[in-house]
Amino acid sequence: MTDLKPSASAATDAVLRALADPHRRQILRLVRHTELPAGQIAANFTLTQQAVSQHIGVLKQAGLLTERREGTRRLYALRHESLEPVRELLAEFWPDALSRLKKAVEAAHPRPPKR
Amino acid sequence: MTAEIRNDVIVATEHIKAPPEVVFPYFTDPALIVEWIGDRAELDPQPGGVFLLDMGEVVARGAYVTVEPPYRLVFSWGIPGSDALPPGRSTVEVVLTPDGDDTMVVLTHTDLPPTHIGNHRAGWEHRLGLLRREAG
Repeated sequence: MTDLKPSASAATDAVLRALADPHRRQILRLVRHTELPAGQIAANFTLTQQAVSQHIGVLKQAGLLTERREGTRRLYALRHESLEPVRELLAEFWPDALSRLKKAVEAAHPRPPKR
Repeated sequence: MTAEIRNDVIVATEHIKAPPEVVFPYFTDPALIVEWIGDRAELDPQPGGVFLLDMGEVVARGAYVTVEPPYRLVFSWGIPGSDALPPGRSTVEVVLTPDGDDTMVVLTHTDLPPTHIGNHRAGWEHRLGLLRREAG
């Protein structure tokens, strides 16, 4: 389990773990185009404010959110560039699949070696 | 093999040492498709026919749009229950071009919304898991 793909760095792992939770994905959707204070984010959930704060903490830790103070409020927004490594992973989905297709086809239909 | 993303389009290519006639059924025959993607498949390779791939943690569902053996097929692709990428939302086109006795496969996945990235992750991690098991 240690032979991770080179692109699956620790930072990417943190992003993937942060994205694994549907509530956290919902938070990212809320702040994708706009900055919101924690209270307003929490208002979209039936979760306790504390639970939402924890999710925000995980997202911040993973670098997915920016935090800006305005008076006593903290405003959060999606850090778009943090999704770049994940876009790269997604781009590997089909190439990985096609290389398995190549293996499967060529194993089932071996060619005699050329002379 | 190569891949690139432009404006939420993924293009993947692969060179396979077999003719298109041999490669094509790997996109239309349930027993053959699961040799390279998914654990279980329900495929009805005709326009409007179901395209369903059970990949363990993620199910991809869509419909065949175009089936032109052995050179080209198009199917839609989505995840049941996903707001960002419901079944039918995105489109996958596969073109098989003869290269001598071999085949050049060009796969283009379009209409992928950026918000889908998080949802796709489980499938990718599942794939990574398979790769790890193969490697180990």
